[in-house]
Amino acid sequence: MAYNIPERYQDLTPAPQLDKKTLNKMVWMSCFLQASFNYERMQAAGWLWGILPGLQKIHTNKEDLKASMAHNLDFLNTHPFLVTFVMGIVLSLEQNKAETSTIRSVRISAAGPLGGIGDAIFWLTLVPITAGLTANIAMEGNILGAALFLIIFNAVQFAVRYWLMHWSYNLGTKAVTMLTSNAKEFTRAASILGIFVVGGLIANYGTTSLRIYVGDPAINIQGLLDGVLPKLIPLAITLGIYTLIKKGWTPVKCILLILICGVVGCAFGIFAGDSKAMDADGNKIPGGYTPLVEWYELPAEE
Amino acid sequence: MEVNIIQALLVFIVAFIMGIDQFSFLESLYQPIVLCPIIGLILGEFNLGIVVGGAYQLIQIGSMPIGGAQPPNAILGGIMATVFAISLGMEATADGVGAAMGLAIPFAVFGQYAVTLTFTIMSGMMAKADECAANADVKGIRNINYMEMAILGVLFGVLAVAGLYGGSELGAKLKDFSFEYSWVMAGLDAAGGAMKFVGFAILMKVMMSAEMWGFLLAGFAMALICQANASIASATLLLCAFVGVAIAIYDFLMQTKIKNSAGSSVGGGSDGI
Repeated sequence: MAYNIPERYQDLTPAPQLDKKTLNKMVWMSCFLQASFNYERMQAAGWLWGILPGLQKIHTNKEDLKASMAHNLDFLNTHPFLVTFVMGIVLSLEQNKAETSTIRSVRISAAGPLGGIGDAIFWLTLVPITAGLTANIAMEGNILGAALFLIIFNAVQFAVRYWLMHWSYNLGTKAVTMLTSNAKEFTRAASILGIFVVGGLIANYGTTSLRIYVGDPAINIQGLLDGVLPKLIPLAITLGIYTLIKKGWTPVKCILLILICGVVGCAFGIFAGDSKAMDADGNKIPGGYTPLVEWYELPAEE
Repeated sequence: MEVNIIQALLVFIVAFIMGIDQFSFLESLYQPIVLCPIIGLILGEFNLGIVVGGAYQLIQIGSMPIGGAQPPNAILGGIMATVFAISLGMEATADGVGAAMGLAIPFAVFGQYAVTLTFTIMSGMMAKADECAANADVKGIRNINYMEMAILGVLFGVLAVAGLYGGSELGAKLKDFSFEYSWVMAGLDAAGGAMKFVGFAILMKVMMSAEMWGFLLAGFAMALICQANASIASATLLLCAFVGVAIAIYDFLMQTKIKNSAGSSVGGGSDGI
């Protein structure tokens, strides 16, 4: 990366409190968290877009705004409906001009765990219940079902977004002033938490696995690897890419490498992948896909 | 079913908006219970659209976008299920519209391909985003976000209109195509799943130092242990954060204690940064 993100902001005087209007604007912008979702950094650019109104107010020094924008493009994946919680905390740190590495560690540590909580609240509880009830109304030919679904879902969504933003921002500003007197120690502690959570993310989101079977009777290589250490491949790839990035590879180069490895690997049936394709009778393809070069036999499913 | 140009245009606009709404904005307009009645209204069969929407929504409950997984796409699925129910003159009852769902599946799968492709292409745009940030280019960041929304919207609009005219014949063709080239899509799927490791590696570069390796492995181990236990697997990252917070607070207290006692013995009051 051409631009090196400084450890400290130039202007270290805490910025004035953000007003309600700016916070509310960011509540609205938080709806577009996933607008530029991608496989490399997931919600990063949408996140930055969402908190920019606040960052622009906080960092009146242009160099500081650059630094802040650059580090707010880190990998981020959190629950879209709970993101304002992370926003509030990060904004309170930015406002007090905490060190950039502290903000980065706190951000990923706060964002990671929210994914599971949000899925449990929204996709596994709220949607099944409201959709289940309203779908029955709809199947009787009544449009009231659709209207009720929209009203309930969005009322909950916006109440949560609004409340979390204001609550976590106030909480953050109170806590941050207490911690700034021990900034160096706080940065270290935040890094420990951050790196601990990244370790957890690798195991939690790492899905890359092998499809190959060899020998007779067929042995699943992935099964053997799982016996050594589950998620060994995600860990190995992460460490490999970490080494490449330390050597000066750009993220784009790493992504191209992964893309080539993925497609070539699947041409030979090495990696597990789901094409979601179906044969003429509507049956799924065994093993997720048919490799271009079939050099081993996939055992029939038990 | 006769489709005039205005109807086709309206379907394009609806698919464009829903293509965006599935990830951004309200994240609820695209649900079949809302989407199908709108398509029904455009094509002149409002009541049938409502019923198809309810029936499709019940199927959709079982396949929510949980944990980053992408189920077959509900938008093209919903649009095409409505189109088939109308063009085949199905009865507006829960049982009557059942067959429309099956015919719509090839389109739902293709909608998923459109999403996978967009997410892959936009990974390449992150370098551009870094550049915008380094120049404090606020508009540039906004435009990157607009760009993906536009790509998704147009892809979904085009696929929906193609489905509207192509009907079940196109569905069969799409099915053959995805069967023939399944390894390409599986390759994109596998590569897409591995790209997040680049994001993790960048984060590690920020926080990593020689003494941190143990914590990375500890977090990794903690998550593996949680995942192996079905009753706590869904709370994996939250539990990781709990343990991580305990370690971090302990380290913070120890470090400040060391600093304070070292400071008092030398007699200096500065914080030593």
